[in-house]
Amino acid sequence: MANTEICEKIKGMLVENLRIPADELEYDSELFGDDIGLDSIDSIEIIAGIDNLFGVQMTGAARENFLSIETLAKYVEEHQ
Amino acid sequence: MENNRVVVTGLGLVCAIGENTEQCWSAAVNGVTGIRKVKSVNTDDCYANVGAEVDIPSDKLSDEDYDRSSLLCIKAAGEALADSGYRVNEENSARIGVIIGNCVGGAASIDKYFTDELKNGSGNTADILKMPAAAIANNVAKHFGLNGTTANIVNACAAGTISLSYAADLIRAGKADAFVAGGSDSFSSLAFAGFHALHALDADSCSPFNRSGGITLGEGAGVLIIESYEHAKARGAKIYCEVLGSGVSSDAHHITAPDPEGNGQMLAISRAIANSGLKPEDIDYINAHGTGTAKNDEAEFLSIHTIFDENPRLSVSSTKSMTGHCLGAAGSIEAVLTVKAVCEDTVPPTIGYTDENLETLKEKAGKIDFVPNTKREKTVNFAVSNSFAFGGNNASIVFAKNPREIPDRTNKDRIFVTGIGELLGNPRCEISSDAYKEHNIKMAFYRKLDRFSQLQLISGMRALRDADIAVTDDNARDIGIIIGTADGPMTEIVGFQKNVIENGTANGSAFSFPNTVYNAAGGYFSIFAGIKGYNVTNANSIQAGLQSLCYAADVLRNGDESIMIATGTDENTDTTEYLYDKLGLLNGQLGEGSVSVILENEKSADARGAKKYAELVGWGTAHKSVDFGKVTGSESALRFAIEEACRSAGIAPADVDAVCGFANGIPQVDEIEKSVFSEMFGDKPVIEVKSEIGEARAAASAKQAAAAAKLISEEKYGCVLAAAFGVGGSYSAIVLKKA
Repeated sequence: MANTEICEKIKGMLVENLRIPADELEYDSELFGDDIGLDSIDSIEIIAGIDNLFGVQMTGAARENFLSIETLAKYVEEHQ
Repeated sequence: MENNRVVVTGLGLVCAIGENTEQCWSAAVNGVTGIRKVKSVNTDDCYANVGAEVDIPSDKLSDEDYDRSSLLCIKAAGEALADSGYRVNEENSARIGVIIGNCVGGAASIDKYFTDELKNGSGNTADILKMPAAAIANNVAKHFGLNGTTANIVNACAAGTISLSYAADLIRAGKADAFVAGGSDSFSSLAFAGFHALHALDADSCSPFNRSGGITLGEGAGVLIIESYEHAKARGAKIYCEVLGSGVSSDAHHITAPDPEGNGQMLAISRAIANSGLKPEDIDYINAHGTGTAKNDEAEFLSIHTIFDENPRLSVSSTKSMTGHCLGAAGSIEAVLTVKAVCEDTVPPTIGYTDENLETLKEKAGKIDFVPNTKREKTVNFAVSNSFAFGGNNASIVFAKNPREIPDRTNKDRIFVTGIGELLGNPRCEISSDAYKEHNIKMAFYRKLDRFSQLQLISGMRALRDADIAVTDDNARDIGIIIGTADGPMTEIVGFQKNVIENGTANGSAFSFPNTVYNAAGGYFSIFAGIKGYNVTNANSIQAGLQSLCYAADVLRNGDESIMIATGTDENTDTTEYLYDKLGLLNGQLGEGSVSVILENEKSADARGAKKYAELVGWGTAHKSVDFGKVTGSESALRFAIEEACRSAGIAPADVDAVCGFANGIPQVDEIEKSVFSEMFGDKPVIEVKSEIGEARAAASAKQAAAAAKLISEEKYGCVLAAAFGVGGSYSAIVLKKA
């Protein structure tokens, strides 16, 4: 289980920057699949948001790190 | 034949490769680039730092205190008008209008105002009036004393071509003798940061149909004097060439990327060629969109190969390799170069190929000549200019050396209002998730949309449902849309810009940028609804919602589509309230929303047994130049628009039973309505929609049409006229009758 504080920050960023309704976004929601339906432009925004929040660079990071808020948080924890 | 001949009688051009047409042409044919290190935008921390800027300071372009986009346009328009020898005077000024293409309005002024405001709280209120795209055509009209119809076509990178197409169509319809038509865009941190965020900039000079590593942004303006042949002949004008047919279409695919199969592009090109009475084999030269992004170049290669592979003498080039991508000006800059190619029998090259690149090109080009590096001297009888934009908007236009009869496609069918969709709020709309559920719009789609696009999507879908129109593969190409707006997506534009000011050009938002172009709402709508026909957004102040009905009716008359959605949309947010407050206008009076009215040909309406609210029997647009932001002194244009609407309806103003007015509580506006209405309509009842919905700007002027149609359908009146005003002196009027 990833750090809740990091998850919450990432969720806030996704809600704010990508206009995802907060009540439809769980930590394990599939971001790029049917749940939320993000696309390549959104992934650019996520990379910028994570860099802003945590100073962690995700450019070129493997696709599986972008699956959900939890996997993003895990990547952040491991690279902070 | 002479009656529908439209010709080019003047050219004006300013861009990075020259400050007039001759300089630009000389540079273009000699393969001289205008791409250099960017000066006007801070490119610190950006992976790209080149652009194609005009090396003339704004105060040397023209004397007025306007945004740089307007000043570039005035410079090019001055050259074009002088070149044409057109003498504008009081008698003829109402027969020459201004149609200008543009991307995001006064981007440089938006940057300046909020930089001043955020850094030291010293934003200059005068800069606020420079922000909307609607100012540009008004400023050009004011500068040259032109009082014909104005429009600001804001379809991003296709805008400059669509403006020429619309001008030619209006002249053929007898609505004007001539237009100052073209496009203009200045270099801006907004565009640079946006394309940078999308990773769509090439780190080096762009190389279309070659490395295709991205675009290089440019700036400039291209203006053509488009004139009826009869008028040009009567005044003994020099004629450059003929304007033949054009084609406008919509991909209905993706908000930034072109359809990889090129279907929308091919529809625009095919329509342009067919509307010119030509075949693909007749075309000698295509000035390609050729942006230099992999996605554009691949789709355009495919489109060109698919349509033209049987043409043994076709040449294709992208002059963007020298001028950069000038966005809303691109289509018109390229039109000027295409006209020169026709006149001079010379095709400018695409530059930037190394020997190695040339080998690769051979494989990709097949039999088509892509004119690498050096010009081609050859006979150019027929040339096409292509422009493909964000939002999936495509436009192509054909120029010809010699006179040629083009097919008369005029459709004289009666036109009916067959559907109405509304979303209005005073002061603001409640957009609930139920509104999306009504039309099965998924969260993954609607969360991408800014408020302006959301309003548009919901009203448009409600109108289609009200009209009981199901969009299918069979009818998608026969349905188009015209969106009118005063302020466009100003909230998204300002939000994007403030972020760039605070966090640097390198940190623009890729999520927000696609929504900063005025035509994003029309793009999203076409993607969701699946409509693939005509798709244009016109930013022309408050009356733009009613002008959209006039424009849509012209498209139907022109035989381009059988169903048109005419919309007016404007948002009210903290940003719009802030801007209007600063101007001291409409305090507490702003409303917002979107109103869509379906206009449909009789044949189409009867074939599907559509209900008919009313018949659109007449429409007219007019302009009397006053300063942008003002109305006083422009009442003659209101009178003229009403007369024109009545004349085309075959009635006198006295035959009207009631009028839908535009009064909004501003004394100067209300005074114009009162004096002109009482003079023309006596004591006929006047219905004021804004007393209920507030000054919802273009949404309110479209609502005037919807209200008139409903009054007729409810049999309260037999014949209703609606008239609307725009700041700067633009007016539109329509006449509706019992169906």
